[in-house]
Amino acid sequence: METQLAIRDLSVDFRTPAGRVHALRHVDLDVPKGKILGIVGESGSGKSTVIWTVLRLLAGNAVVTGGEVDFGGKDVLGFDEAALRAYRGEEVSVIFQDPMTSQIPVLTYGQQMLDILYRRRNLSVAEKRKLAIAMMRRVGIADPEMRIRSYPHQFSGGMRQRISIAMALMMDPFLLIADEPTTALDVTMEAQIMHLMRSLQAELQATLVVVSHNLGLIAQLCDEVVVMYAGEVVERGDVRQIFYNAQHPYTRALIECDPARVLERSRLLPTIAGDLPDLRNLPAGCVFAPRCPKVFDMCLTVKPPLYDAGEGHDARCHLLHPEKGDPSWPPPIGEINLYEPEPPSREAAEFASTPVPLKSGTAASGDGPMLKVDNLRVRFRSMGALRARLAGVADPFVDAVRNISFELDRGETLGVVGESGSGKTTAARAILGLVKTHSGSVAYRGRELTGLSAAAFKPLRRDMAMMFQDPVGSLSPRQTVLSLMTEPFDIHRVPVEDRYREAERLCDMVRFPRSFLSRYPHELSGGQARRVGVARALALQPQLILADEPTAGLDVSVQGEILNLMGELQRTHGLSYMIITHNLPVVRHIADRLAIMYLGRIVEYGNCDRIFARPAHPYTEALVKGIPRPDPEKRRSLVSIEGEVPSLARRPSGCEFHPRCPYAQERCRVEEPLDRPLEDGRIIRCHFPLTD
Amino acid sequence: MSANPSDIAVAPPAKVERRFSERREKLLSFLQNGPGMFGLILVVLFFASAIFAPWIAPYDPNALDIPARMQGPSWAHLAGTDQLGRDTFSRVLFGGRVALKIAAIGVSASLALGIALGIIAGYGPRWLDSLLLLLFDTVRAFPVIVLALAVVAVTGPSLELVLIIIIVTSVPGYARLVRTSTLALKNTEFITAERSLGASSSRIMAKHIMPNVVGPLLILGAMDVPVVVTVEAGLSFLGLGVLPPQASWGTILNEGYLAIRETPWLVIAGGIPLVLTTLGFTFLGEALRDVFDPRLRKGR
Repeated sequence: METQLAIRDLSVDFRTPAGRVHALRHVDLDVPKGKILGIVGESGSGKSTVIWTVLRLLAGNAVVTGGEVDFGGKDVLGFDEAALRAYRGEEVSVIFQDPMTSQIPVLTYGQQMLDILYRRRNLSVAEKRKLAIAMMRRVGIADPEMRIRSYPHQFSGGMRQRISIAMALMMDPFLLIADEPTTALDVTMEAQIMHLMRSLQAELQATLVVVSHNLGLIAQLCDEVVVMYAGEVVERGDVRQIFYNAQHPYTRALIECDPARVLERSRLLPTIAGDLPDLRNLPAGCVFAPRCPKVFDMCLTVKPPLYDAGEGHDARCHLLHPEKGDPSWPPPIGEINLYEPEPPSREAAEFASTPVPLKSGTAASGDGPMLKVDNLRVRFRSMGALRARLAGVADPFVDAVRNISFELDRGETLGVVGESGSGKTTAARAILGLVKTHSGSVAYRGRELTGLSAAAFKPLRRDMAMMFQDPVGSLSPRQTVLSLMTEPFDIHRVPVEDRYREAERLCDMVRFPRSFLSRYPHELSGGQARRVGVARALALQPQLILADEPTAGLDVSVQGEILNLMGELQRTHGLSYMIITHNLPVVRHIADRLAIMYLGRIVEYGNCDRIFARPAHPYTEALVKGIPRPDPEKRRSLVSIEGEVPSLARRPSGCEFHPRCPYAQERCRVEEPLDRPLEDGRIIRCHFPLTD
Repeated sequence: MSANPSDIAVAPPAKVERRFSERREKLLSFLQNGPGMFGLILVVLFFASAIFAPWIAPYDPNALDIPARMQGPSWAHLAGTDQLGRDTFSRVLFGGRVALKIAAIGVSASLALGIALGIIAGYGPRWLDSLLLLLFDTVRAFPVIVLALAVVAVTGPSLELVLIIIIVTSVPGYARLVRTSTLALKNTEFITAERSLGASSSRIMAKHIMPNVVGPLLILGAMDVPVVVTVEAGLSFLGLGVLPPQASWGTILNEGYLAIRETPWLVIAGGIPLVLTTLGFTFLGEALRDVFDPRLRKGR
């Protein structure tokens, strides 16, 4: 088979004040023409360094210490500036992760797309415009003649990513690189973009490299897969081989740890113990040996080569050594799990054996729900009063949350799921009094929270803590971990004998290394920062935790750790959780009840298992089906739902979901459905629930 | 799996890890900055000469020696003497004290006030923001020298007045900058996180917003020192600031200007320190900005 791109023995170092970081070591990979190659790895695996090397866009402190990059017979590493300009864009182009930041906010899409064609001097502006419009139509933008005059901010995330794809395809490149193309998108958008990329690839016979940490995406999209760990290719082969016959323990770990794979509920998620090795001083043997459950003496001393596992499938693991290896390796996936969840920490175990004391000051009665939200409504002003009057707008507000009601009992977990713009984060912030509520009530243990003054709310904040979406960004950047962890004590004037000891106690509770207490947030990894966030939330032993996307931005293995930790703390401390996420697999294992939100309303509410087993609202069904399964045999041929979340300012008539609903009928367009109970206790907002 | 839970539960000894600090990297990059080092040397010289002036100065700056008036440089009078026979070198040194005093008090007081008002305007209620902005813009609409002239016309010249005018006119610039950064920080997740913990507004402003806005401002402050020194010299030159016989670079220049046909040395001796101080603080400020502003360092 012809190869478009061949990387041979590539090694890249980064010069840092702390020493040389050996970011890539002897990377070998081929991208066959007309195929989709996936590069999988967690953060720090070197997958981005590979693509930046291919594009020759490495940072100034990077040094290519060896190897070559061959692009259709040309030596990329030897290109001069002029050759590079011709090569980038013309022969290889990129779809970036975040279309928010990779597009120019002050230029219309028309201008941006014409600029891409600047090397095509023989084309007139009218022809270029025609080309751009045709390309926009091709990626599924309706009405491209009009939309080409739009600016990036006028488009939603999914539309922007479509345009990114259109832009990348404008020059008809030989190779298209997609760097985490769906990470910034919702599940339904992800499904649409995935579908688009697959159909475009088939249509154009394009060669594609998809870089992602998302196994579901890789399984759904790719023909061949390269697995990277700590700057090395640890396994490569056909997508089926990788997913059904993984030979490297790290690949196994990735597959086993994916929350989307673990189907049964209330089982602890598997995790990979340990951290990435220090890439400045590498271990003598296998880089994965310190974390590998199957490690044996040879792994610690001898660097494993890429062993041939047949059919173009290679893995860098001594278990495949013809003599010293393990002939029974690998065990079949799904029957034997290599990776187990970590045992509970001693701190948590001790806590489990002592009953949770009821705190004074709050209503101690166990009766009634812990949190009761009734008809909560949150409105935001969409324009100034004067402007609204001038424009003749009678109601210059939009409803971010529209009359939602739910209950949360002690020790229970409620999952709130919806796409971005569904109002789930606003609802949580309204409960904590961080945004103003318009009407409705929020009662915590029977005490009304809406309308409380800041001073009256403050003592209640000890009982209610919130975890924020961005693990690093929610920590004050100029404070050390020590002061961040002990800050709740200062705020609430809780006398502490020894701050340091208290911080160490919290460290142990969330398994955060004590020696990192003097670090600043930007010096932490995502998982570590998340643990600090959990520790802060738990510092004052709250009863209720509102967690906003607790696993966002974390690697697969770390996601499992955080979810396990949250589950464990719930059992030991009797916590109630309200978990907000757009990622259904995350709540599946931890939630008792689910509330599915769409445009500020709860459209389905009820028992988590029942909802997963048989979604009753078409939107829920779309979300459940939208999860990309890490299984290359079960590729979805159709997109679950079309379209996007409409703007809050322009709510559709009737049932607000009807423009995207595959089952919509005339009645849905005109008549607004009301909440109604199903036989199994669920509440659903749909005229035609999927009950049969 | 839980064969030996005690193994896992044993926590590592709590020691503060030694890591390669970012500060050291910044120091290194500063030391390699040529103009920055030059600026630092000039600034140190300025401080040292001003602080130790009473010990360095060979003569009393106000001691008259009429027979030895209007001399050129000699070993006895390094920078010559003025119309009244006072030693110009000593006067320049003592004039540096005035400049340092004005610069140190003026810049630090305006920084402190500017930061406080800027954070309050950015984080506080909207009406307060509008009110403060109106105030800032009103003050900024006056040219410094014209404002000084107007005030002096009413009250008469004095050093304290110079200081007050400098503070009042430089606060709005700092405050506006701080206000903008505060507005950007106001809606970040970590501020919401602090609010959700129950932190009071004053705590959030002092502990979480201030540390994140002062960095660029200190650099700006360093770069404003020469401006303040020049304003003082200018006002004194015009007779609106330091009054004779007290020495100031501005008054030396003024006296030199009157006697420029007889001897050029006064103007030269009064001008050189002004030029060097301005250069020194500007180079230093720019070097600090290069070192601390990550946007400028990328890709080097």
